[in-house]
Amino acid sequence: MPTGLIWTVIVLAILVVLILIYYFNRFIVLGNRIDNSLSQIDVQLRKRADLVPTLISTVKGYAKHESKIMKEVTDARKVLLGAKTIEKKMKAGSELQNALKSIFAIAENYPQLKANENFLHLQKELAAIEDKISYSRQFYNDSILTYNNTCKSFPGIFFARIYGKSPKKFLQIPTEARAVPKIEF
Amino acid sequence: MQRLSFHDQIRNNKIKSFLLIIVIFIFFLILGFIISLILDPSYFFIIMIISIIFSMSYVLISYYNSDKIALASVKAKPASQTEHREFYHAAEGMAIASGLPMPKLYIMESSEINAFASGRNPKNAVICVTTGCLQKLSKQELEGVIAHEMSHVANYDIRFITLTAVLVGMISIIAQIFLRSLWFSSMRGRGRDGRVQIFLILIGILFAILAPIAAQLVSLAISRKREFGADATAVKLTRYPPGLTSALKKIKQEHISSKEKHKFAKALAPLFISDPFKRKIKGLFSTHPDINERIKKLERM
Repeated sequence: MPTGLIWTVIVLAILVVLILIYYFNRFIVLGNRIDNSLSQIDVQLRKRADLVPTLISTVKGYAKHESKIMKEVTDARKVLLGAKTIEKKMKAGSELQNALKSIFAIAENYPQLKANENFLHLQKELAAIEDKISYSRQFYNDSILTYNNTCKSFPGIFFARIYGKSPKKFLQIPTEARAVPKIEF
Repeated sequence: MQRLSFHDQIRNNKIKSFLLIIVIFIFFLILGFIISLILDPSYFFIIMIISIIFSMSYVLISYYNSDKIALASVKAKPASQTEHREFYHAAEGMAIASGLPMPKLYIMESSEINAFASGRNPKNAVICVTTGCLQKLSKQELEGVIAHEMSHVANYDIRFITLTAVLVGMISIIAQIFLRSLWFSSMRGRGRDGRVQIFLILIGILFAILAPIAAQLVSLAISRKREFGADATAVKLTRYPPGLTSALKKIKQEHISSKEKHKFAKALAPLFISDPFKRKIKGLFSTHPDINERIKKLERM
């Protein structure tokens, strides 16, 4: 039965092509998701950096001689804005966060500053951004997990090799962020 | 494994939604057929064409405006960026954590803690919370509740619930029309065909029976499994089970103190013509899928 054989071959070939297309698209979708979540982290880090100048000018009005901490914050912001890779950005971001924490710590010594509405608003905004940064990092790692699972599990591993896709690295929390910041008085 | 079942649920919801559309469509065709039989079989084609156009537009309009109808029926207002900052922060955080587009946010005036999500897909989703929700819940609790609603959005629960509500709303409207037309025709006392009269009465009664059953269908659709699934996904988003747990505990406390009111509303609901719209809402707590069990499961996470 040659015609039957031909049909079987055609059907199988179509099936193979479909599976190839499916996996190709799957890798593209998952890869895009990772890129997207990466830019989301970036957006949030930038938002934090954007709030810093306003915060500094508010604090300056009440605590002029805390220039050391203020300089720390401005420097950390500069490093963050200049960082190129995501690892460096995350590291700079956590340094900025630590510097900001010390600003909020010294605010305890300035009751007027603490009661300032603008300052309170900024404090809340920065706390919310901190949350969003950790959520975006979480989603980034989730996306990488899905991607890696597809790369490593059968039959994905087979197609990953065909398309030259390899598992990606998770984004680690910078060690500084985990440590409790030292507060000097 | 968990991931797989999650995707299965989404597919399931999409298939069920499609089937519901077909059910609604067929329902209208049958109705048109019955009407043409009652009036005059010679009008059969005209009536059928009218009923096809009507059913298509009904399904399309309610499908595309479901979120607006739901929001209007509870008199929800858009949340303001400045006034409801916490709400926006929590929702943005959850949108980021789930990788979904930011839903539109609404507030409804009520001292009770409640929330719902609506819309036809994640791109057109809305999340609405009560003012009580914002007043009584802490930041973590609010985040837990919004994460739960976000999960309904992600799972396509909202589309299915919306379509079920379309069905329920339709049946109640038709039941009303039949019952009313019956009322008017008997008032005027026109010499109508006795057979037609009986037919109308039967259909009216049939719809009157069907409406509460359909309403019941909606509450069945919001099955326990769905709620548990949304709870689990919510925890996956926040990575903080105590938030949602303590929100549920607060709601449980409210339920105990206002039990009577709830029972009353539930029993009367099928009678009201506008209520089905209220039910389409994927209410987080409107049906009670045993809140204690949910708390227990969350505490084990």
